[in-house]
Amino acid sequence: MSEPKRLHPAAIIFRAINTIRQSIFGLLPIILIASNDGFFKYVILGVIVLTIVFIVLNVIGWMKFTYQLDEDQLRIEQGIFIRKKRTISKHRIQSIDLSQNIIHRIFGLTKVQIETAGSDQDVDAALSAVTFTEGQWLHDQLKAKRPTTTNSEEKLVEDDTKSEGDYPSRTISFRKLFIAGTTSGSFGIILALLAFLSSQVETLIPDKFYQETTTWLISQAIETIVLLSILFFIGVWLVGILGTMIKYGNFTITRYEEELYITRGLLEKKQTTIPLKRIQAVGITQSIIRQPLGLATIFVEIAGGETDKQEGTNTILFPLLSKNKIHDFLDEIIPEYSDLPENYTALPKRALPYYLLRSTWIPILASIAVGIFFIDWIWIPLIILALSILLGILTHRTTGFKLTESMLTLQMRQLSKETIMLKQKRIQAFEKKQHILHREQGLATLKGSILNNFFGRNYILAELEEEDVDRIGDWYSYNNEFKKPTK
Amino acid sequence: MRQSPKERIAKDAIKAWQLNATLMALIPLIVTIALFVLANIFSFSYWYAIGLLVITIVESIVTIFFIPKIRWNRWRYQIYDQEIYIQHGIIIVTRTLVPMIRVQHVDTKQGPILKRYGLSSLTISTAATTHEIPALLEEEASALRDQISELARVEQDDV
Repeated sequence: MSEPKRLHPAAIIFRAINTIRQSIFGLLPIILIASNDGFFKYVILGVIVLTIVFIVLNVIGWMKFTYQLDEDQLRIEQGIFIRKKRTISKHRIQSIDLSQNIIHRIFGLTKVQIETAGSDQDVDAALSAVTFTEGQWLHDQLKAKRPTTTNSEEKLVEDDTKSEGDYPSRTISFRKLFIAGTTSGSFGIILALLAFLSSQVETLIPDKFYQETTTWLISQAIETIVLLSILFFIGVWLVGILGTMIKYGNFTITRYEEELYITRGLLEKKQTTIPLKRIQAVGITQSIIRQPLGLATIFVEIAGGETDKQEGTNTILFPLLSKNKIHDFLDEIIPEYSDLPENYTALPKRALPYYLLRSTWIPILASIAVGIFFIDWIWIPLIILALSILLGILTHRTTGFKLTESMLTLQMRQLSKETIMLKQKRIQAFEKKQHILHREQGLATLKGSILNNFFGRNYILAELEEEDVDRIGDWYSYNNEFKKPTK
Repeated sequence: MRQSPKERIAKDAIKAWQLNATLMALIPLIVTIALFVLANIFSFSYWYAIGLLVITIVESIVTIFFIPKIRWNRWRYQIYDQEIYIQHGIIIVTRTLVPMIRVQHVDTKQGPILKRYGLSSLTISTAATTHEIPALLEEEASALRDQISELARVEQDDV
């Protein structure tokens, strides 16, 4: 086929939403200022005119946006006054993701997002709304070569008889999802959000109502207030659980030959494709709450990837599973990283003071300050100090590494315990750091850098035995002068 | 990573850094002079200005006469066929390994101070990190740049 096609008319809605989102901040103040000045009818008139122009522009924009599929490339033309033509070759396409939000679902549509390699966002393309069948068809055409039931690239040598069932796949159970919600730290985030919202809404609530409510609250008995706050917290907690449910509901990960394929979401169905080639590291996180329960989250660090992601984020491979199941999961889904070590080389005892100093210097200063100025309150920083001593000891205990022929596994803790598996050829650069005291004690700090999204990411292990750091350096080095003769 | 790299950077790096530090030391000196003038005008104690003068002098001596020498002494690099090995740092000594296949691009840079001494600095970027060899003789820097980009051109496997 090669006649240009338009998107589904519903794309107009998405265009409109986008434009409104971009322009609302510019227009609101103008409207507010104008409406106070008795220019009201002009404002109404202006709004009407603007709306009409806006609708017309949107419709024309939609009419002018066409895409067509040629032999082995996708061609997109868009723009009302400035025509933009973009051609994406099939070979450059890294992944094609279909996602649906609520509006898409009502009309039976899907959004098609096409990602190419490299960090140039201009090369990527998105079709905001096409019918679901069209989306599937596009996916198949661009991925080329095989029906959608298996979203994988066909290799020449591969037999074509494999069906969906032949690929390993994991789905999160409802129970695990619920536990994930209850143990997620979304609690604090929601509280902060509520605080922010209430501070914004305060200006809108009539004063009288506000005062009545506060006086009623203050006049209540202490038990009622406690009860109310407990209820409030439970409410927040439930919202957090609901959020997790909506985000990770139906989380399914499937392993094809060349890529991992994730679908998730209850309301908004999201698909993510992760080409294996782009995986830089695999890691396991256990937050303070989840560690005692023996639960963990598995994530990957990807080069490139979604452009809307911020620095330092990683992609979740599985939201929650028991620690003893991790090995099976890796074995099945991503066997390249399956040899997760059982035990780690621990830090020497003489590294402990550094860890304690790092975790306690702020609380110590705070305790001194509070001790000078408000001696009555000294217990607060002292409790924090005790906790940070504990954290220091715990961090020292957790930190460690394991070196095998193919992989360097690091274990560390900030608050959550994190295990990260690095392959030699994925580490971009390696550093060994020492200061004078370290040299006296024969300690050294190592830093390995990998690529994550479009940024670098450093993994630092402080105060290892110098011997060990040298050994890891030799393992990393391409230079045979460093390599010790193998026994 | 037991033995340090062998190549030193250009000897003139010390002069360039000293010039840089001297220019930097002018700033606290100007502030000190201003403080003396202000103390004169508003007739408050000269001790503030005297204190600042002492600090300025000490700081200048340290940054001009000691740090560049120590820094130069510490700075070593070595280019192997397959990797670059760098050592630097005054208090915290850092040794870095950058494999050639990870190098994305190499730049030479030269500001007015380095130009005066016929030096330029070499910046090596991987996908995730950047590393700098701060002062090499111009021709040496461009030769190295070409050598590295030649070596880095070997079959790049994906990032």
